[in-house]
Amino acid sequence: MSGEKENVEPAALDPAAKAELDRAFEALYRDHLRDVYSYAYYRVGNQHDAEDLTEQAFLQAYRHFDRARRESDGRPLRPWLIRIAHNLALNYYRDRSRRPQTPLESADPIPARHGTEAIAEGREELRQVIDKLDRLPDDRRDALIMRFALGMDNREIARALGRSDGATKVLIHRAIKQLEEEMTDDE
Amino acid sequence: MSEASEKLTGSTWDVERLLGDALRPIEPPERLSGRFEDTLTAFAQAAAEELSDWAEELSESELRALRDPRNWVRPVVAVGAGGVATGVLVLLEMRRRARHQQGGLRGLANRVRL
Repeated sequence: MSGEKENVEPAALDPAAKAELDRAFEALYRDHLRDVYSYAYYRVGNQHDAEDLTEQAFLQAYRHFDRARRESDGRPLRPWLIRIAHNLALNYYRDRSRRPQTPLESADPIPARHGTEAIAEGREELRQVIDKLDRLPDDRRDALIMRFALGMDNREIARALGRSDGATKVLIHRAIKQLEEEMTDDE
Repeated sequence: MSEASEKLTGSTWDVERLLGDALRPIEPPERLSGRFEDTLTAFAQAAAEELSDWAEELSESELRALRDPRNWVRPVVAVGAGGVATGVLVLLEMRRRARHQQGGLRGLANRVRL
């Protein structure tokens, strides 16, 4: 199959196929908007950029949705979506030559509408762990965001990061170990 | 989560519990869905306007060429180099014209109909 055929854009399909594709994409959007937004938020550290990143991720996903569905062979598309957001986040930092101004807005109390009231309670240990999470190497931090914010299992994280299941398991283990050691060192 | 939840000895911190508390899923603002739809619509409108400018400059020979299905990819290539959905939406514009135009590109739009 040629690359051109693999990249058939949604509107280039016949009307019935496009209508079906749009319905499927709408379901994907509905089901995973929170996942993509959560990942983006914890990745870029502020609401405004998280919205931009989420929007861009879904626009890219829409463009390649037909091909992704065909190649997914029935597997869930969440890792693919998160991988798009992950790559966009890398570009976000590359383009703007910056890291979040503060480790995460969540280091300060996140507005209650975000449902993270626990942080707003001023629990120092949460602030500590978020601060240290943000200082982890990118791959470790991202894996932990996927695990704990999105509830992804090792296989999903592996697909999102483009790694093997085994390498992902080790990555997460080492990330948690590093956090524990750094928290302990601060005591 | 069991694979990652093996407790390490010697630590007084339950990092996984803290991570679970700290990294809660975040509900997106309600405006985000509307914003996404608006963006897709804006792409469609931009593509439609671009197509209008482009299509009205076509010569008869170019219009004839477009009637050949082998050339149908050309409008997409011509207009779609830049935006996310722009090129694709050229074809949407063709359908729109088929619905609304009495003459001009109506025949062309019908033939390029998806």
